[in-house]
This record gives sequence, C-alpha cells and structure tokens, in this order.
Amino acid sequence: MQIGIPGALLYQYYISFWRPFFEELGFQVVISGNTNKELVNRGVKVSVPELCVPVKIFIGHVFELLDKGVDFVFIPRMEAIRRGEFFCPKFMGLPAIMKYGVPGVKGKLLTCQINARSDDISNYKHYLPLLDKLDLSIKELKKAAAFSGEKWKRFRTINKMGYMSCEANKMVVEGVSGKELLPKENNNHIKLGLLGYVYNIYDDFVNMGITGKLNQMGIDFITFDMYEEELLDQYVAQLSKPLFWTFTNKLLGAGYQMLQKKLVDGIIHITAFGCGPDAFLGRLLELESDRAKIPYMLIRIDEHTGENHLQTRVEAFIDMLKRRKSKIS
Amino acid sequence: MKVSFPYMGPVTAYRKLFEQLGYEVIVPPRPTQRTVELGAKNSPEFACFPFKVLMGSYIEACELGAELIFSSGGHGPCRAGFYGEIHARNLKNLGYQAEVVIFDEPLYNWKGFYNNVKRLKGDNSFFRLLRATFLTYRVMSELDKCERLLHRISPYQRKAGSAEKAWLLIQKEYANVFNGKGLALARSKTEEIIKEIELSKVEERDRIKIGIIGEIYVVLEPSINMGIENILNDLGCETERSQYLSEWVDYMLIPGKGKKEKGIMAKAEKYIDIVIGGHAKQNIGHIIDFKERGFDGIVHLKPFACLPELVTESIIPEMSRVYDIPILTLSLDEQSGLTNNLTRIEAFVDLIRKKDRARHIS
Ligand code: SF4
Ligand code: SF4
Repeated sequence: MQIGIPGALLYQYYISFWRPFFEELGFQVVISGNTNKELVNRGVKVSVPELCVPVKIFIGHVFELLDKGVDFVFIPRMEAIRRGEFFCPKFMGLPAIMKYGVPGVKGKLLTCQINARSDDISNYKHYLPLLDKLDLSIKELKKAAAFSGEKWKRFRTINKMGYMSCEANKMVVEGVSGKELLPKENNNHIKLGLLGYVYNIYDDFVNMGITGKLNQMGIDFITFDMYEEELLDQYVAQLSKPLFWTFTNKLLGAGYQMLQKKLVDGIIHITAFGCGPDAFLGRLLELESDRAKIPYMLIRIDEHTGENHLQTRVEAFIDMLKRRKSKIS
Repeated sequence: MKVSFPYMGPVTAYRKLFEQLGYEVIVPPRPTQRTVELGAKNSPEFACFPFKVLMGSYIEACELGAELIFSSGGHGPCRAGFYGEIHARNLKNLGYQAEVVIFDEPLYNWKGFYNNVKRLKGDNSFFRLLRATFLTYRVMSELDKCERLLHRISPYQRKAGSAEKAWLLIQKEYANVFNGKGLALARSKTEEIIKEIELSKVEERDRIKIGIIGEIYVVLEPSINMGIENILNDLGCETERSQYLSEWVDYMLIPGKGKKEKGIMAKAEKYIDIVIGGHAKQNIGHIIDFKERGFDGIVHLKPFACLPELVTESIIPEMSRVYDIPILTLSLDEQSGLTNNLTRIEAFVDLIRKKDRARHIS
C-alpha cells in the first residue's frame, strides 16, 4: 500500500519522522516532487483566492500524489506543540480544507491530530486514529513511533549544528548520526539571519533558490531551525503575551536573539503573500531591528514573483551590508 | 480619567458601564472612511481589516483625549488576541500616551482577567461594579432583542426609513437608563415606538429570510459592513445575525448561559471538530442552524484574508450543496466599497427569490 506525503508545509521539519514511521509500518512512502510552476497553478486553481501561497502549493503537491495513484495522502492536523500555543488556523483547518474543498481528496485522506507538548511529535498516541484505516496493532504503532522518533532527533541534532533542514534530512537518510560531524564553521565576513518558515526558506521554487545563491556568494546564514527550541522559547518569553502560533514565535525568538546578541549583520525575512501571522511578526521584527540598528529586509513572495527581481534585491542588500561593515571596522 | 473603547455594535450599552463607574467617557466616533484610512495607514499592510479599523478608531479616540482604552482580546487562537499589544505600540509611536487594556477570555488568562477587572473597578466597590455590569448587560440584551426584531419587520415597513428611525429613538431611550426603573420605562417606550411602525401584511411563504454569519467585528458593526442588514432589508429580506454581543457575553462570562453556542458548535462537529480560531467553527454550525430554521440564504462576511474564515470559505461550496442553501461570501477591507458588492448582493437575492418561487410552484 502506498502512502503519499506532500513535500510542502512542514515537510522539511518532520519528514525525518514521518517517512521512517510509515516505512517501519510496512508501507511504501511516496513523496511529491519539487514545487514547480504547473503544480502551483493547479493548487491556485481550486483554492479560495485569498489563501496564502504555501497552502495553495500544498494543494498542488496533494494533486501530484493523487495523480501518482497513492492509496492515502497523509495530512495530519497540526494543532499544537506547545502549551497555550497553536498552529496557524490554516494548519488546524488543513484536513477540512482538503477534504471538502479539494476534489478527489475525500476518500484518500489519512489524518490524525498532533497535539503535543514539545516539537517532538513521536508519541504514538497522536497516531491512534490511523489504526483502523491502516489495520495496525498498537504494538506496531508504538514500535514504529519510537524508532522514527530517534531518527527525527538525529535530524534535529544535525540541523542544530548549523546544517539546513534539507541537508540534515538527507544526512539522516544516508545514515549520518551527527556524532561524526563538526559544527559548521563560519569564517566569512558577512553573516545573515535568514528568517522564514521551513516551507518558505527550503522550497527553491518559492524563494528562487535563495539558499543556493547565498552559498554561491559565500554568505553564511543561520535559520530558526538551527536553534535549540528552549533558547527560542526564552526569547519569546520577553513578550508580555506571546503570539498564538508556535512557528511564528520560533521565528520571532530567533530574530530577537540574532538582533539582541548582534549575531548577524542583517536579516532577510521571507514571507508569503497572504500570510496572516507574518503581518504581525514583520512589524515586531522591524521594531526590534530599529532598536538593534541591524538592517532587516522583508521579501514577500507571491505566485508571480520574478527571479531577477529577487536576485537584485538580495544582492543590493548584501552589498549594503558589506559597505556598512567596512565602514564600521 | 478619560476612557474609551472600540466602536462595535451597541455602543450605548457599554458606554453605560464606564459612566456608572464614574469615568469620563469618550465615545469614539462611528467609523467612517477617515477612520478606515487612518487605521490602514498606521497598521501593518497585511494586518486584518478589523485591526485597521480599530487602530483608526483608537487614534480618533486619542485625538479626543482618551487616556485609557478598554478592549477585548477576541475569541480563540487568532490574531485578535494580539491586537492590543501592537495597537498600543503603534499609538506610542504616534506620540499618544493612551494605555490599552485588553480583556482576555477569563479561561485563557484568569490572572490577567482579574487584574484587568480590578483596573476597571478603580475605587468603586465590587458591589458597584457588579451593579454597573449587570445594568449594562441588561441594556445590551434588550437592545439586541430590539435590533433583531427590527431587522425582521423592516422589509415590510410601509414608509421607508421608519424602522431605522425607530432604532435611533430606541437607542436614545436606553441611553437614559440608570437603574431598574429606567429600564422598565425604556422598555415600554420601546414597545410604543415599535408599534408605530406601519407594516404591510406578507404571507409566510413570501417571506425571505437571510442569515448573516462571519467574523464577529464585521458582523456586529454596520458602519464597516456597508450596513448589510439594512441593504438586505431594503431588498425585501428579513435578516438575522449569527452573533449578538449580549450572546457573546453570555458565552464568555456567564457560566451555564452559553448553551445556545454549545449547541451550535455541536452541529459543526462533522466539519471541524476543534476550535481553529476566531468563530470559524461557530459559523459552520450557524449555517446548519439557519438552514434547519428555514432560512433561505446566508451571507458570509469576512475580513479580507481572515485566517479562520478562509477555512470556512473553503468548506462553504460543499456545505451549500449538501444543505441546499445559497451562500454568498463577501470580503471586506479598506478598499471594498459598496458599489462593487451591491451588484453581487442583488444578484444573490434574485437567485434566492427564483429558487423560492420554483419551490412553491412545484
Ligand atoms: S503561517 Fe502564514 S504562510 Fe503559514 S499557513 Fe499560516 S498564513 Fe499560510
Ligand atoms: S478572526 Fe480574522 S479578523 Fe479576527 S483576528 Fe483572526 S484573522 Fe483577524
């Protein structure tokens, strides 16, 4: 039996758990390919126009899996991974949007509710709703969850050593344990904070390959997922009332840490058109960057952003950072 | 201390609360184009529409000298819960010193709620606070009741505008209520005012009923929803909203009184089984409830790009099909004028009429 996992939204954060999990249970896991123009268009076509781009892209990935003829598409409902915080409403409504709003999904939806206390979502209890549909025993479920929980932790270890999520996920598949790795050395002059949800910074179609470009230019950057969760939580606690959405808080915590500790020369924040939480996040980061006197640039991507435009802006921003740096030192 | 509050629905009622507690009250001006523009200019571009209107409203209140603004943190996990923080920061950046006090759901943040209550109470005794709250609440529910009734009968008024005029008069009556006796008096005056409205007789089968659902602020406040109820009334349709402020207060504050809302939520279970933010879940339930109560159509109001209401909107086509009820979604923001929406509303009412007629013929 084939289970499809869309290569979008939280894919880069949790795939090191989900893939081994289903494989361990004896299923064949099919993952949709890279985002491309046609895929995006298919998502755009069936969705309510005002939906944010990442959710439209997600729908495109789901279509691709349906085309491939998978038996189920796995779309968990992400509710919470912190006490008192939630996911963006669109995540919480995702299975419902898919089931009732996207033709063809209804009979193939495989879902469960993730309501965890921390980023670690490997507790088998979250996956109990899968038992009947997939004809599994609790014992099998427990075993698979424990096994893949370890894989996910390995992924996080590598990720936090300064490797991007996408790199770290690959290394886990290749059997890298993390112990043999050295933290990524940063010896370049310019250091950048690259803020954005995993589905924005690691989807090369969405951001026109910004990570590759930065690498080419020899610019070091850090992303929120390279942080210890607890450290981010500490910075979020500065707000008298944290935001409601966990991943938005993570970006905020990372941004605050970079700015207050002056760890970076500048911040690029990638946000998607139609993102509600980022409207507030952007404002808070802007205020903090003023305070820290560290430049902050917001790049908003929509379905039609052109590559040249993005490249020019990034290059101009980096040039500006270089000039500033030579003046200061 | 000069206090102010958001302009949202029955302002007459909560003005009461602050007056009774001895505050100098600054009623913010009813939102106008200026309010909206002022708010939009001073808000993050992609903030939600209610956020922008409130921003504008607070600025206008500050211009009038407000020093303290009481507001609510909204319902469920959504952006509204965070409005106050950013509103306050923006006001400060503009050079206003007003403090913004946000009431959260007591269940979400009990201590904060308690502290805010103490803040509101000031030097008043708890007894006085309770009495003021209770009076406010009664005024609010009675006004809500009147408003509901007026939107049911106004499509049949003989003289255009008489229901609207009655509504103004009624609000004036209640503005002068300061105790139980005043309340009784206002009630009897109101009855007279309503009796004055001449109505034509309409057969039950010819009546068209439209339910209004959506995000709470745009549903409650006519000045930012183009006066949707009046528009529909003028097109000959009765209207009823999914939300009235007094019901919201019931649900939030009065234990055991939120039964109606719980019933509504239960109906939504099939589509969305958890609260995902805002009133998305309630709205799903209200669609079913309106259908069951024989309504002919539903207008769904949502602020542009509103997160939870986008989820509702995504499910609506399916629900409209399954429950066989026409549903029109309208997105509201600082750019949406009445002109482009009016045609859609008229077409929608036409559709319902045709559907209705077809049903009676067959
Ligand atoms: S956080 Fe923003 S981009 Fe992500 S799903 Fe929500 S609205 Fe879309
Ligand atoms: S429910 Fe809609 S309008 Fe209200 S805070 Fe959430 S996104 Fe904004």
